[in-house]
Order: sequence, then C-alpha cells, then structure tokens
Amino acid sequence: MNAYAIDVRRLVKEFSQRGLPPLRAVDEVSFQVRVGEIFGLLGPNGAGKSTTMKLLTTLLTPTSGEASILGHDVVRNPLEVRRSIVAVLQENAVEIFLSVKDNFRTFGRFHGLSWAEIETRSERVIELFGLADVRNQKPIDLSGGMKRRVQVAKVFMVDKPVIFLDEATTGMDTINKRATINAIREEARRGRTIILTTHVLEEAEELCGRLVIIHRGKVIASGSPAEVTSLSLKLFRLSLTVETLSEEILAAISAESPLELTSRDQTAEVTLRDERSALRILASVEKISPVLHFEMSGSTLEDAFLHLVDQVEKP
Amino acid sequence: MQPILAVMYREYKIRITSLVWLFYDIVMPFAYLLIFGLGFNTAFSSGITSDGASVSYNTFFLPSVLSMACFGIAINTSYGFFVDRDNGIFYEFLTYPMTRSQFLIGKITFNCLTSLVQGIVAITLGTLFLGVRIASGSVPLLLGGVIVGTAGWFFFLAIFALRIRRNDTFNTLINVLYFVLLFLSSLFYPIEHLPAWFRIGSYLNPITWHTDVLRYCSAGMGDGPGILWEMAAFVLFLCGSFWFAVRTLQKAV
Repeated sequence: MNAYAIDVRRLVKEFSQRGLPPLRAVDEVSFQVRVGEIFGLLGPNGAGKSTTMKLLTTLLTPTSGEASILGHDVVRNPLEVRRSIVAVLQENAVEIFLSVKDNFRTFGRFHGLSWAEIETRSERVIELFGLADVRNQKPIDLSGGMKRRVQVAKVFMVDKPVIFLDEATTGMDTINKRATINAIREEARRGRTIILTTHVLEEAEELCGRLVIIHRGKVIASGSPAEVTSLSLKLFRLSLTVETLSEEILAAISAESPLELTSRDQTAEVTLRDERSALRILASVEKISPVLHFEMSGSTLEDAFLHLVDQVEKP
Repeated sequence: MQPILAVMYREYKIRITSLVWLFYDIVMPFAYLLIFGLGFNTAFSSGITSDGASVSYNTFFLPSVLSMACFGIAINTSYGFFVDRDNGIFYEFLTYPMTRSQFLIGKITFNCLTSLVQGIVAITLGTLFLGVRIASGSVPLLLGGVIVGTAGWFFFLAIFALRIRRNDTFNTLINVLYFVLLFLSSLFYPIEHLPAWFRIGSYLNPITWHTDVLRYCSAGMGDGPGILWEMAAFVLFLCGSFWFAVRTLQKAV
C-alpha cells in the first residue's frame, strides 16, 4: 500500500501535432503528496499544470510514467480513482439550465449522496458560499464569479478524500476567496488531501504545505513555500518616508548601489541585495532628515517564481 | 446502477426545464403521422402494396414515424454533448465516479423512456384517429424496437458528437445524414420496385433495417428470414456503435 495520497512518478504526456513533432506538455514530472496535505502546483500559463491535473483526474491518459491516487493507478483503475476524488476544473462547469439548488442535487446524486444528505449539505454550502439569494436562479442568469462559486461550492458537499482545485478562486471576489480558502483549510484539517493550482502566489504561500513549480512541463523547484522562496535572488525591498525627499537623501541611497530606486512625493522605494545596505541607508537618511515611516520586506514566493522561470528561459 | 440513475435524473431535470422541448418530444411522431401521413394517405388512397401485403399509407407509415422519432431523439441527445462541452460540465462529468459506458447508458436510458412515451402516443392516437391498423399483440414488439432504435442511433451519432469539436460541423453532418439516411431507405416508400442502385443503397442503410423490422411487427410486411437478417444487422450496428462511442468518450478530452 502506497503511503502517499498522490504519488506521481516520471509522468509524461505528449500530444501529437499534425506535421510537427509531438508536444510534450508534461515532461517526467514527479511528486508525492501526503494524506491531509495541501499541495500546490504552480507555473506560468501553458506550463503543464492543468494537463497534470487532467492526468490525475483520469481525463487524460499519460504517455508514460505512473500516477496513483490513494494507491489506485490512474490508468489501470480509473473508476477507483474517480471514487476517491472530487475536482474543480479550470473550465467553468455548471448546469446553466438548472437552478443553483438543482445543480447541487444532481451533483449529490452523481456522488452517491442520499436525498436527505443532499438537502443538509447543499444548505450548508449555500450558506458557506453566500448563495442563499440565488438558490432558485439558473446559472445562465448569474455572473461569471457567481457561477464559479456554485462550481466550487459543489466540491464541499461531498466527503471524497482527495480534492483537486484547478484555479478554483479565479473570478471570485475577496470575500468569497476568503470563504474558499477557509473551507480548503478546514477540509485539510479533517484529513482530506488537497492539490491546487493557482496564479495567486500569495494564496499558495498561505495555503500550501508544499508545492512544485512547473515550467514547460518540467518541475523546476519543489519544497515548502519557504524552501522555494529561499531559491530566489534574496532581494530586499525598503520603503521609507521622510519629511522632505531631497537630492541629498537620494544620493545617500544611491551610494549603496541599489538594484532599483524609485521616488514619489516623500517616499523612496529601494530594492537591495542585502539587509545591511538597508540598515546603512536608514542610518544615513536619518542623519539628513527624520524618517517618518519605513517598511522592509524580504523575498516572496513570487520573487522566487519569477527568478526560477527566468533562469529556465535564459539560454 | 446508481451512476446510471444519477445520469437519468440529470437528463430528466434538464428535460423538464423546457416545456416546448417536452411537448415536441412527446407529440412529434404523431404530428408527422397527422400532417405527412394524412397527405400521403389521401394521395395514395388505394394503399401501399409491398411483399404481397396491401395496407393504407398511414399503416405503412407508422413504423417509419417511430423510426424517425428514434433518430430525432438520438440527434437531440447527442447534440447535448456540445451544450455540455460549451458549459464546461462535460469534462467535470468525466471525473465523476462512473465508467464511460455508464455515462452513455444513463443518457440513453432516459431518452429511450421518452421515445417509448412518444411511441405509445403515436400508436394510440394513430390507431384511434387516423385509421392505422396494427395487431394488438405486436405493440410490445414495436415498443421494444423503438428502444433498440433510439439506443442504436444515439451511440452512432455520439461517436461523431464526441469527435467533432465544432457544432456547425456536426450540424452539417446531421443535415447530410438526415437527407441521405431518410430518403435512401424504406421510410417513405417500398423499395422493391426502385432502381437497383437505390435498393442497394437502401439495404446498406440501418434506417431501412430498423424500419423494416418495425413494419414487419406492425403490419406483417416483409419476408421472415430477410427481417431476421435486418434485425441482426441492426443489433450489430448498435453494439458496434456502443463500443466505438465508449472508446471515443475515453479519448474525448
């Protein structure tokens, strides 16, 4: 028995192209996800994230390599895989001609819930995702964000051990994004394994225990958000506000050879390679004019992401 | 069984959202019989003679109407793949806990029930108001034939609906199929006295096989061994189409 909820080994997916060599969308991708973990699959557009999701949810068959969900092989035992998962795919997926409530009813029937369970659980997600006012409306009459809410809410009706979320929060407003993030966390606390893709890197940083960055079908980095962030250039950003942003102050900042310096009104934004330069800038500026406010931040997952992708792009 | 029932429930929920659709589904075959059948029944007042049997045009035409209704329901059901694909829900279905064959069987089982209701309405009203004569014992056979016909045509058309990505291409294909299959067949006229090329084309057409079997059940027209061959050919057509449709669905993404 495999100890991992999701076990992906050297997974490859090639698409044939007329008159051209096959396009390798997923190239020897490997990763493992533990039970109860929130795992992120990050990468730029066209990196191969959604194709990987489609392979793991049995929508596509891999060209080579292996992948299993709770020990069930995605090729040899697709039905058992489907019995173990629930997925929000990238495409909007709602029954536009059925009411919101009927969307939940049909979804519940497909996942084997009893009528009583469907009633209780659909009411819970209607409440959780703020859909009470539109429960009798048809999604054809709803906005894109609302449709996405209906689609994501369905996933939280059923108790499948593994959840796939492909850019689930795309198109949602801040309040519903927050509700979704909280629901994801709650499900992970209850022992469900969640694999997600997102373009919002702060979201991945906040939610994921571990993640991989995929680019051109290959895994280019993996680990916890902190580990991946440490692979960045380690840049620091200093923002300082003074009473008067004089030429003398700007010269003092420039003396530390910042990578980038921008100024507006009383505030200067500086990008530096190390923390000590930032401290020296603060000390020199303070001697010229009182510092009213300052903020310093280290590298983010976004910095690491951009850096890693850029490294791969370089010849 | 549960996944099949879930697909049927979903088909039912969608179908009842449109009363026009529901009305069309139920009444369409009888409307054909009423308008088209009545016109030809009057034009051919001496009736239709085929394989030594002579019947009124409406009696001849009833199995044709049932056969066309099977084809019509199959078109609507297979067109549903495009609607589902446009709404994105098609791909989500494929991650649900069911096999690809359960998905197809669930879809067609509900629609076979619809064609059954259509058939009952057409047979009842046709017999009561349009002078259609059929042996009462043949009704269950006719209805069984309607179910088999709907399933066969749905699986056949599903192959194209799942392979073709553009609905305008699918529409064009359906228009061509509709014209060729319906008119190059025994639907509207007996084919025994038609030119050889026409007869050969007709005998290669599953609509002819299906209609001839239904006509044999309802009006006793046709020769027994020939009908058995046609029945076997249609069942083979159904099984082959089902196999291909499942394979196509497995590679539909």
